[in-house]
Amino acid sequence: MAFELADILPALPEIILSAVALVLVLVAAYGGDGAANARRVAHLTLAGIVLAAIALLSMTSAQSTAFGGMFRADAFADYMKLLVLMGSFAAVFMSVTPLERDDINKPEFSLLVILALVGMMLMISANDLMSLYMAVELQSLPLYVVAAMRTNSLRSSEAGLKYFLLGALSSGMLLYGASLVYGFAGTTSFAGIAAAVSETDLPAGFIIGMVFMITGIAFKVSAAPFHMWTPDVYEGSPSPVTALFAIAPKVAAIALMLRLTYGAFGSIALEWSQVIMALSVASIVVGALGAIMQKDIKRMMAYSSIAHMGYALAGLAAGTHEGAFGVMIYMTSYVFMGAGTFAIILLMRRDGQSATRIADLRGLSKTQPLFALGLMVMMFSMAGIPPLAGFFGKWYVFLAAVNAGLVPLAVIGVVMSVVGAFYYLRIIKIMYFEDSEAPLDQDVPLANKLVLGVSMAVILLFFAGLNSIMDAANTATMALMAPF
Amino acid sequence: MYALIVFLPLVGSILAGLLSLNNQDRPAELVTVTGLLLSLLLSVIAFAEVAIGGTPVTVDIGRWIVSGDFAAQWALRFDTMTAVMLIVVTGVSSMVHIYSVGYMSHDNARARFMSYLSLFTFAMLMLVTADNLVQLFFGWEGVGVASYLLIGFWYKKESAHTAAMKAFVVNRVGDFGFALGILAVYVLFDSVQFDVIFAQSSLIATTNIEFLGQSLPALEVAGILLFIGAMGKSAQLGLHTWLPDAMEGPTPVSALIHAATMVTAGVFMVCRLSPMLEYAPFALDVITIVGAMTAIFAATVGLTQFDIKRVIAYSTCSQLGYMFFAAGVSAYPAAMFHLTTHAFFKALLFLGAGSVIHALSDEQDLRNMGGIWRKIPVTYAMMWIGSLALAGFPFFAGYYSKDMILEAAYAAHSGVGNFAFVMGCLAAFLTAFYSWRLLILAFHGKPRASADVMAHVHESPLVMTFPLLVLAIGAIFSGWLGYELFVGHHWQQFWGDSIFILPTNAALENAHHVPTWVKLLPIGLAASGVAIAVLCYAVFTGLSAKIAALFWPIHLFFFNKWYFDELYDAIFVKPAVRLGHFFWLRGDRDTIDGFGPDGVSALVYRISGACSRIQTGFVFHYAFAMLIGVVVLVSWYVLRFKG
Amino acid sequence: MIEALFFYLFAGVMLASSVMVVVSRNPVYSVLFLILAFFNAAGLFVLIGAEFLAMLLVVVYVGAVAVLFLFVVMMLDINFAEMRAGFQKYLPLGLIVGGILVFELVVAMYGDAFGGKTAPVVSEIANTTRLGGVLYTKYAFLFQLAGLILLVAMIGAISLTLRKRAGVRRQIIAEQNARRPADVLEVIKVPSGKAPAAANTGKAEE
Repeated sequence: MAFELADILPALPEIILSAVALVLVLVAAYGGDGAANARRVAHLTLAGIVLAAIALLSMTSAQSTAFGGMFRADAFADYMKLLVLMGSFAAVFMSVTPLERDDINKPEFSLLVILALVGMMLMISANDLMSLYMAVELQSLPLYVVAAMRTNSLRSSEAGLKYFLLGALSSGMLLYGASLVYGFAGTTSFAGIAAAVSETDLPAGFIIGMVFMITGIAFKVSAAPFHMWTPDVYEGSPSPVTALFAIAPKVAAIALMLRLTYGAFGSIALEWSQVIMALSVASIVVGALGAIMQKDIKRMMAYSSIAHMGYALAGLAAGTHEGAFGVMIYMTSYVFMGAGTFAIILLMRRDGQSATRIADLRGLSKTQPLFALGLMVMMFSMAGIPPLAGFFGKWYVFLAAVNAGLVPLAVIGVVMSVVGAFYYLRIIKIMYFEDSEAPLDQDVPLANKLVLGVSMAVILLFFAGLNSIMDAANTATMALMAPF
Repeated sequence: MYALIVFLPLVGSILAGLLSLNNQDRPAELVTVTGLLLSLLLSVIAFAEVAIGGTPVTVDIGRWIVSGDFAAQWALRFDTMTAVMLIVVTGVSSMVHIYSVGYMSHDNARARFMSYLSLFTFAMLMLVTADNLVQLFFGWEGVGVASYLLIGFWYKKESAHTAAMKAFVVNRVGDFGFALGILAVYVLFDSVQFDVIFAQSSLIATTNIEFLGQSLPALEVAGILLFIGAMGKSAQLGLHTWLPDAMEGPTPVSALIHAATMVTAGVFMVCRLSPMLEYAPFALDVITIVGAMTAIFAATVGLTQFDIKRVIAYSTCSQLGYMFFAAGVSAYPAAMFHLTTHAFFKALLFLGAGSVIHALSDEQDLRNMGGIWRKIPVTYAMMWIGSLALAGFPFFAGYYSKDMILEAAYAAHSGVGNFAFVMGCLAAFLTAFYSWRLLILAFHGKPRASADVMAHVHESPLVMTFPLLVLAIGAIFSGWLGYELFVGHHWQQFWGDSIFILPTNAALENAHHVPTWVKLLPIGLAASGVAIAVLCYAVFTGLSAKIAALFWPIHLFFFNKWYFDELYDAIFVKPAVRLGHFFWLRGDRDTIDGFGPDGVSALVYRISGACSRIQTGFVFHYAFAMLIGVVVLVSWYVLRFKG
Repeated sequence: MIEALFFYLFAGVMLASSVMVVVSRNPVYSVLFLILAFFNAAGLFVLIGAEFLAMLLVVVYVGAVAVLFLFVVMMLDINFAEMRAGFQKYLPLGLIVGGILVFELVVAMYGDAFGGKTAPVVSEIANTTRLGGVLYTKYAFLFQLAGLILLVAMIGAISLTLRKRAGVRRQIIAEQNARRPADVLEVIKVPSGKAPAAANTGKAEE
C-alpha cells in the first residue's frame, strides 16, 4: 500500500511546518549559542508559519481526507487553522524581544511552538480517535515544556510540572474514553463511530466513553471544573508563554471539541449537549466570579479565558448549525482580543522586570495613552460592548443557545457577562482614573505595537467586515456538519 | 407669514442662546428685540386681517403625533381671540425686551436672559395659536419651563431657585389636572382638535361617566379638570402660592410673565373652550366662585404687604380672579377685554416698580422708600397712570373692563353671579386702597432710604422709560378703544366663532341694561378707597399702624397670606418630605440597594473569594476536582440510562 | 478453560499488585509491584495473541521505565512519611470517588459489555509481521506523529535540564581529535642533579 501524492497533499501546511521544524532543530543545535540564534530560529519559525498559511490559503477548501481517512481537510479546518496560525504567529512575533529581556532566549522556544502548532493543526483535522490522541499529545508536550522554560524560576517550573501532571491525567481520561468508544463502536474512525450509534441504539458504556473524552478535551479548553491548572500556569509561566497559551491552543481545543461532537457524536447531539452545557455554565460562573478578586493581570486573564471558553461552549451546547457558527465567530474575536491584550501585558515591565500586577497599570493613560486606549478597546470588547468584536461573538452564541431552547444557559451567560464587565471595566478605571507611583518602561518593541495595532483594527472594524467573516464561518460550519 | 409671528422669537432665542456661549450680549439683545418687533408688526397686520377683517386662518405646519385613532397636528389657528392675544403677547413682550436692555445692563448674562425671554414668548405664542389641546399643552408646558428658568435666573440666590422650584411644582399640580382634562376630552370626543370638540359639545352634554362608582356628568368633569389646570397657571385661590414668590425673578420677567401673559393663559384657555364650557353650567359656577374668592382674597393680602412687587403680584392675582368670574358668568368677551387692558396697565405698573427699584439701588421694601417723586417724575407719572387704570377710574382702561365685568356679574341674576358681584365690588375698593397705599409709601412722605441710596436716585434711561410710555398709552386708551369692539352690542361680529355663548346665558347682553347704581358703585368704591388710603398714609401717618394694632388678628391673618403657605407646608410638603425620606432610607437604601446592587455585589465578592480559596495550588486538589467533575457527569448519565 | 484460568490468574495478580503499588510503605516495593503488574499485563497480551505487544511491554516498561523509576526512587531524598500523611487524609474521599466511579462503570456496562462486538480476528500471520506490515504503510501518519512526539520529548528534556554553568569542563571530542602533539606537548630538558620542580611550576604558570 503506497501513498499517492493526493493522499498526503491535504496535509501540506502541516508537512511544511514539520519540515521547517526539523530544519530548525539543526539550526538550533548548530547555530551557536545566545540571543542571535534564538532570534534567527524565531524568525525562521515566523517564516514557516507564513509559508504554511500561504499553503493553506492556496489549497482548495473542498472536503478531502488524507492518510487513509485519519486526516480531514475542509473549510472548517481551513478556518480554524488560519486562526491558530495567526494566533501563533502573533504570540511568537511579540515574544522575541520580551524573551531576550527575560534572559530566556533559547531557540527551543520557537522550535517547540512550531511543533505544538503542528499538533494543533492536526487536532483541527483529526478524523480518527488515534490521530486525535496523537495530535493532542503532540500539542500538549511542547506546551508543558515551554511552561517550565524559565528553569531558574521556581514558579515557572511549578507551572510546568502542574500542567504536565494534570495534563497526563486528562490524557488518561481521554484515552480511557477513547477505548470505551472504540470498544462499543468497533472502529476508531469518526465516520464509523457516527454510523455505529444513534439515539435509539445507544449503549451506556458508549456514553460514558463519550463523557470521558469530552472531559479530557475540556481540560485542554480549560473548562470548569477542569480549569484549575489555568490560573497557576498562566501566572507562573513566562509572559510570552502565557500569551501563546491564551491564544492558539484554546482555538485548537475548541475546534477538536467541535470535530468530535459534531462529527463522531453528531448523531447523538441530545446526549453530549448536556455535558457541554454543564461545562459551559460552570466555566462561565467560575470565570466571571474567580476573576474579580485577582490582583495579577495574567491570573485575571486566565479566569477571563475560562469564562470565554464557557461562552464558546454555550454555543456548542446548542448543537445546531447556528451554535457552531456562533462558536466560530466567538473564537475569531477571541484570538484578536487575546493577541491585543497580551501585546500590552508583555510590555508591562518596570526597571527591566516584568510587572504584571493589575495595580501596575495605574496611570497608563498618562504615561502611554495609546496603549491604554488599546487595552481599553480590548477590555470593552471582552466585556461584549457593541459594536466591538466581542459583542458579536457573544450575540451569536447566545442567539444560538436561545433558539435551541437553552434559555437558562443564555440567561446565566448574560448575567455573568455583567459580572465579567466589572473586572474588565475595573482595568479601564485603574488605567484612566488612578495615578501611578512609577511609570512602566517606555521602551516597547515594534512587534507588540504591530500586533496591538492589527488587533485593535480588527476589533474596531469587526462590524464592517462582519459579512465576509460570517460567510466564511457559515461555509466552515457547513463543512463541519457535512456527512463523511 | 403668520407662522413667522410664532417662530421669529424662537429663532431669536436660539441665536441669543448661541451668542450667550461667547457672552456676546449686545448682538443677542439686537437679535431678540428685532425679532420681537417684527413679530409685533406682523401681529398688528394679523389683527387687522383676522379680527377686524373677520377672516380666521389656520396654518398647517406638520404632523405631530399619529397613533391609532389619535392624531395631533402642528397647526397655528388664527382667529379673533388669537389675534387679540397676539397683540397682547408680542406688544408687552417687545416692550419688556426693550426695557430689559436697560434694566439688566449691569448683569453679565444678558444674552442668556434675552434668550429665555424670547423662548418664553415663543412658547406663549404657541399656546395662543394652538389648534388642539395637545399643542395647547405643549405651549402651556413651554411657558412653564421658561417661567422656571426666568424666576431662577439669578440661580445663585437661594430664594430665587427655591421660588423657581415652587412655581414649577405648584404648576405641576395644575398641569396634572389639565392633562387629566385632556384625557377626559379625548375619551369623550375621540379627538383633541378644537373644531371637533366644539362641534360635538352639545351632543356630549348629556353623557355621564362612571368614576369610583359615581355617575358624573362627563362634560362637567372634563371642564373642572381643565379649569384646575387653569387655576395652576393663573394662580387662582389654592394654587396661587407660587406667584408672589415668583417675584424673586428679575422685574421685567414679573411684568411679562407674571402679570401680562403667562398667568392669563388660564383665562385664555377657559375662553377658548367657551363652546364646550357653555354646556357645563356647574363647571362655570365653580369657575365663578373660585374667581370671586381669589379676587377678594388677593386684595386683602395686598393690603398688608410691604414688598412693592408682591403688592402688585397680589393685585395681579386679584385681577385674574375678576377675569375668571367674568368667564364664569359667560361674559367671555368681558374676561378677554379685561385681560387685554390689564396686560397693559399691569405691565406698566411692574415696569414702573422696576424703575423705582432700579432708582433705589435694588430696594424693594416699601418701608424703605418714600420722598422720591420729584427725582423720578416720569416713573412717578407712569405709576399714577397705572394705578388709575387699575383702580378703574373713569376713562382709563380698567374702568371700562372692570366695570363691564361687575355689571355682567350683576346681570347674571344668579346666586353665584351676585356673590361674585359683591366680592368684586369689595375687591375694587381694596384695590384702590392698596394702589394708593403703594403710591404714597413709595413716592411721598419723608425719604426712609439711607442717604447713600438717596444720593443715587435717578430717572431711568430712555430705553426703560420708552416702553413705559408705550404701555401708558395702552393703559389709557385701550379700554376706550376696545369697548365697543370687545363687549359692545355687536361683540359677536368681532369675536366671530371664537367665542360661543348660549342664548340663555345673557349676562353680557344684560350688562348694558343694569341699574345706574350698579354702574356708579365701583367708581364710588374706588374713590373712597383712594380717599381712605390718602387719609391713612398721607394725612394721619400713624393711623394705619393703629388700625393694624386694633384689628391685629385680621391684620396678622392677611399679612401671613391667610396662612396658605403654612397650611400647605403642614399638609403636603412635610408629609411628602417625610415619606420621601422614609422611602429613601428604608425603601431605597435598605431594601433595594441592600438586596439589589449592594447585596448582589457583596454576594459576588463572597463567592469570588470562595472561588479563589478553592484554588489552593496543590496539584492533588486539582486532580480531585477533575475526578469529581467526571464522576458527577458520569453519574448523571448512569442515572439517566439505568435509573 | 485453561485460557480462562490463566486470564483470571493474570488479571487477579495484576489488580492485587496494582493495589500494592499504591499502598506499600516502601517505595522500592512499590516499583517492584509495578514490575509485577507489567509482567501480568504482558501475560494478558499473550493470552489474546498479541505476543509482540507482550514482549514490548516487558522490554520497554520493565526493562527501561521501571528500572529508571527504581533509580529515581533510590536516588531522591523524598520524605515518604509526609506524603503518606497527606495520602491518608484524602484516602476516604478518594475511596468514595473511586468507588462511585467503579460502581457506575460496572452498572453501566454490565450485561451489554461492548454490545456483543467481537474482538478483531487474530490472523494466522504472526502479529509482529502484521504490525510491521501496517506500521509504515497504513499507520505511517501515526508513526510519523509518534516520531515528532518523541522529538519533542527529547528537545524538551534537553532544554529543561541543560544548563550552562561557568567553570564546568566539557569534553569536546572534535577538539580532542584535532589536537596535535606539538600543540600540547613540550619537551623539557631536565638537567640532572637539579630539581625539576621549578620548571614544572613555570610551565603551569604559562
